Amino acid sequence: MIKKIMTAALLVAVSAGSLALTPQEQGLAIAIEGDKRGEGYEDSKVNLKMVLIDKKGRESARDMRVKGLEGVGEGGDKSLMIFDTPKDQKGVAMLTFTHKEKSDDQWLFLPALKRVKKISSRNKSGPFVGSEFAFEDISSQEVEKYTYKYLRDETLNGMDCFVIERTPTDKYSGYTKQVSWIDKAEYRALKVEYYDRKKSLLKTLLNKDFKQYLGRFWRPAVSEMVNHQTGKSTRLIYDDYSFQVGLKKKEFTKNSLKRAR
Amino acid sequence: MKSVAKLMIKKPVLFGLAFLSAVTAQAEISIDTQLDYEVSGYFNDGAATETSSSNDNRINNSLALELEVFDSWDDGDQSISFIPFYRYDEMDEERSHGDIRELIWNKVADEYELKVGVGKVFWGVTESAHLVDIVNQTDGVESLDGEEKLGQPMVQVLLEREWGNLDLFVLPYFRERTFAGKDARLSAGLDYADAIYESSAEEKHVDVAARWSHYWEDLEYAVSVFHGTSRDAAIGYDSTRNELVPYYSQITQLGGELQYLNEGWAWKFEGVYRDGMLENSLANSGIDFPLFISPLGTQLAKEEDYFATAAGFEYTQVGIFNSRMDLGWVAEHIYDSRQDDASVGAFEHDVLLANRWVANDEADSELLVGVVYDYEYEDYSLSIEGNTRLFDGLSVEVEARVFAASSDDPQYAFRDEDLVKLTFSYYL
Repeated sequence: MIKKIMTAALLVAVSAGSLALTPQEQGLAIAIEGDKRGEGYEDSKVNLKMVLIDKKGRESARDMRVKGLEGVGEGGDKSLMIFDTPKDQKGVAMLTFTHKEKSDDQWLFLPALKRVKKISSRNKSGPFVGSEFAFEDISSQEVEKYTYKYLRDETLNGMDCFVIERTPTDKYSGYTKQVSWIDKAEYRALKVEYYDRKKSLLKTLLNKDFKQYLGRFWRPAVSEMVNHQTGKSTRLIYDDYSFQVGLKKKEFTKNSLKRAR
Repeated sequence: MKSVAKLMIKKPVLFGLAFLSAVTAQAEISIDTQLDYEVSGYFNDGAATETSSSNDNRINNSLALELEVFDSWDDGDQSISFIPFYRYDEMDEERSHGDIRELIWNKVADEYELKVGVGKVFWGVTESAHLVDIVNQTDGVESLDGEEKLGQPMVQVLLEREWGNLDLFVLPYFRERTFAGKDARLSAGLDYADAIYESSAEEKHVDVAARWSHYWEDLEYAVSVFHGTSRDAAIGYDSTRNELVPYYSQITQLGGELQYLNEGWAWKFEGVYRDGMLENSLANSGIDFPLFISPLGTQLAKEEDYFATAAGFEYTQVGIFNSRMDLGWVAEHIYDSRQDDASVGAFEHDVLLANRWVANDEADSELLVGVVYDYEYEDYSLSIEGNTRLFDGLSVEVEARVFAASSDDPQYAFRDEDLVKLTFSYYL
């Protein structure tokens, strides 16, 4: 509640261009507003194709399906990711419980052994299934996991944007900071730059071809992450998004991993 | 009326047809196929034993086929999965075998989940030994690590509640462990006689099991109980036929599992208390047996209770050497209170030290290099297991083992069985 009142106050201030706000307060207000605009989706389903592209442009693909369940109250979002290809990975499934304050809980199901293994949150900076996305890039982006700083206004692809910097609060994050371009009209992250532990530019994410669902929720059809240090990149292609399809809590339990297909 | 009468008469047929059409109408039957070609190379001729000449086959080829047929309906709340498996082995006729890994109906309701059929479950947390894992029998001819399992007939009810998950099992039929035949490398050079059971119901004894598991933050824990036919056989000797005899006791097993994740550390423990196994105490020509058959009759050792534990940690370094690679350090200790009288295949006082390399590349390459060291017998075995994907649909796995046994150790029989095994898995 306090957060909401603060947000409202901050927003009035931001849109009025008040000089009374510090860049930190302004940055936080933008992040909170972006988060708020994503609220209320309840649950979602999407097919995801991940294309890994190496330095020479050779591609290899993975297909997966992602189900999401919105957190209520203090509970964070839950997500279930099911792999369809590569064929030897078919049936592998990953369940994530996002938490606002503490580290996420994550379990992996290995179908050949029928074994559910808890994954250490320590590996959040590591590559997600061989891609240029780290585990922390694909997990739900809770506002509380960063501190913020508003940098400037800038136009990107003809759209008026806020440029804000955010710093991960988790010491195991692979980043010292991230700089995002967020469009003023819809609060969508159009571009994010990731700086590594040595503070040099590591990766750039571009979110493209946004579509609006249920007249409210904006999602990109393509997300492309380029690693500037290795020359590799990963393209995520989202297909057949659906929201409020009535997914149940029991589909997001440790046990449900064993029957996820 | 007419149609009702007709329906009454042909009910079973119609029911069958209705079921079939319900299944096919929803047309989501998926069929996946995995074909494995495996070639093993041994560095030496097999050691001759007192009872058989040496096995000089240095190369062994084998093919295995596994299908997975799956269909679901009722909005995904009901499903059937069918996984038949068959392996052909060039050298060992015991290893040429088929199995129904799974043929199970699964129903998910709001308050429970029910499974009826032949299925597979896994219990446990440690890497070096799977002590608590008892529902499925080990398919002993499939792999050296005993991680391949035979399908187990079962009725399973799962209750998922605020206070944890409770799994209840009724296991109406027992599967005998598969053992390598006398022509195989890594065998005792003897055949196995028909199994002997403690229960007069033999393999039809109805076993029961239950497991409660839960977690709190980064601590996961489980306790389990099993009563019925032991999955581990006590291996006796029949001197009248010069054969080994598997003996299956009625046992009660209590199991416990703990895992705690803390930053890069995963602390693991599992342990069992078992009552009802035969002691390894009948001395015959310098070897102790739990069971001995001679022209004078069958001698059984007395039953005993014992406990066994496996405990250790895995520490993972993420992005080692500034690369994409993760390096895991695994150390586990295995203990068995029977010590030198432990049954064949048990680890009495062993330590596993291993490195797990995860490349985090597009081919999901992994390498596990480990040594199991027995600090009482002062011997060790070294193993290397790696796998990578050549392209989508073809993966390759390499496994190498070196046995360095001291002469008074039960592992001594494996001294010349160092091997390298390549497995190509083709997915259709």
